[in-house]
Amino acid sequence: MSKKKVYIIPCSGIGKVFGSIGRETAYIVANELAKGKAELECLPLIVKGKKEVIKALKENKIIAIDGCPLMCSYNNIMEKIGKVDAKFMTTDIVKENRELKPEPSIIPVGENTKELSRKLAEQVVKKVDELLEEKKEAT
Amino acid sequence: MKMKIGIIACSGENLIGGTLSRAAARIVVEKLRSNNTIILCQPLFAAGGLERHGGQEERNFAKEHPTITIEGCEEECSKIGVERYSGPAAATIRVDEIMKAHPELIPKSREDLGENGMKLAEIIADIIAKKVDELYTSV
Repeated sequence: MSKKKVYIIPCSGIGKVFGSIGRETAYIVANELAKGKAELECLPLIVKGKKEVIKALKENKIIAIDGCPLMCSYNNIMEKIGKVDAKFMTTDIVKENRELKPEPSIIPVGENTKELSRKLAEQVVKKVDELLEEKKEAT
Repeated sequence: MKMKIGIIACSGENLIGGTLSRAAARIVVEKLRSNNTIILCQPLFAAGGLERHGGQEERNFAKEHPTITIEGCEEECSKIGVERYSGPAAATIRVDEIMKAHPELIPKSREDLGENGMKLAEIIADIIAKKVDELYTSV
């Protein structure tokens, strides 16, 4: 049986820096802080309903990261998969760190944006561990 | 006043084509054709039940304006989203095909395009800008 993992799905927004924080956060979690435990998947593919992607997400845990109140990641996943195990808003990390005003630049992102992303990634990785622990207890 | 042209990029987080599509879209909208294009958020098209969350504006824009989709891979998620919710896309640009045409420019990674990746994004942006001009003169 393959090892269970947590899928990190950021909202993919490209209009504002809050979407970029979600994307940077997801990369830090999947590539660094929870490497081997967390993976990314394309939100558009989930929405499109690609069979193998839907199956993989249903069999594993999912964390949605959104950058605005429309919550595209959360809502899209709920619609297609029927569950989200945890969700984060990038605007919350900005509110918690008022001294770090994110730069408006999206490509490349600024230093404050990177620092905010790392702070959010540290919160997300704790949730990754919690979810994997739950999964172990349940099996 | 002439109408604006919508640019919608696949934005997929899991592949370099998604990062390139996002970068190229931003270059077009911010630098090359800032006066006659507008960026549309791909996830907003697709989010299930967005009407309930007040996110219908993007779909309406693409119904009423020519919209160019930028695809990171053969799945063509942006095009499918636009056609499902707004009508036919005015044009579709396939980033993976442009990558194949420029084997000398290999992006560093999906997280960081690097110098060659950004050069490639500029090339993709030029192709999109030409398509914008064609559409702009025909509407």
